[in-house]
Amino acid sequence: MNKPKFVYVIYVASTPEKVFEALTSEKLTAQYCFGYALQSDWKVGSRFTSTKDGGAPVDHGVVLEIDPPRRLVYSWAPQYEAFKDERPSRVTFNLVPFKGQVQLTIVHDDFDERSKAFESISGGWPRVLSSLKSFLETGKGLDPSWTEGDLKKIHELECAKV
Amino acid sequence: MSKPNYVYVTYIRTTPEKLWAALTDPQTIRKYWFGITVESDFKAGSPWALKFEDGRTADTGEILEAEPPRRLVIRWRNEFKPELKAEGWSRCTMQIEMTDYYPDRGGKAVKLTIHHEIEGEGGGKFIEAVSGGWPKVLSNLKSLLETGDIAFQEYPQ
Repeated sequence: MNKPKFVYVIYVASTPEKVFEALTSEKLTAQYCFGYALQSDWKVGSRFTSTKDGGAPVDHGVVLEIDPPRRLVYSWAPQYEAFKDERPSRVTFNLVPFKGQVQLTIVHDDFDERSKAFESISGGWPRVLSSLKSFLETGKGLDPSWTEGDLKKIHELECAKV
Repeated sequence: MSKPNYVYVTYIRTTPEKLWAALTDPQTIRKYWFGITVESDFKAGSPWALKFEDGRTADTGEILEAEPPRRLVIRWRNEFKPELKAEGWSRCTMQIEMTDYYPDRGGKAVKLTIHHEIEGEGGGKFIEAVSGGWPKVLSNLKSLLETGDIAFQEYPQ
């Protein structure tokens, strides 16, 4: 059996510098990442933490490699009670300039077989990265407060443009 | 071992109806799919084809299921690369859901799930090709629906 490995590619109409900043800035992560904000000095070996809605910092992982604005690798400690006993996994971001856009590839691997954390992150990353793209292209991440009515209103406003 | 297959999920600030239209309207598809147009009435049993701007056929197939604005299943074969055509029919399922964007906070977004798999044996090259293509097409589609503009004007090689 292959070890679980999650790979996701998304293209963002932005610059590598801005995407890299969005991945590492406390202020920016708070705006697209469901209220989570990341804190670190982003040096190799440094820990990084996350806070949610201004709560106490939770240990999140260790910076393994950093090469702005091209590459970021960190370890990822399980965040939820259901799989707190699993060992840390590894997240790799690669940013490549691409036809005036940015190709952002995320690989999340180094899980044990049948990892429950793997199932969780496989559902989570498409949400986070969809929101990151929206945030950088429109100034707003996908907003947890939106209702169906809001989406219909936005749809009507956008109709003229598309 | 499971068959080669590809899954991509994206969340878009739109409505299911508008996303369905973007997936089935030839004029809209041309905007985000690098000049490719579609020929189909998107009814179950109808033929379906993707055409290049110069009129050549890129892919052909048949609509297996069409349930607007929720579910579209296309039987799909490459026609322009012999080594991909040789791998035979694939099946592409597009699922559209108005969903809670994040389980513990609510908030709505439209989730698009693309699942593409080969019907028969093998099919590794075809799945590799669509694995490179879908993120470009769907990133462009998301940009178009959210900003009225697209990321790529031409097919990015």
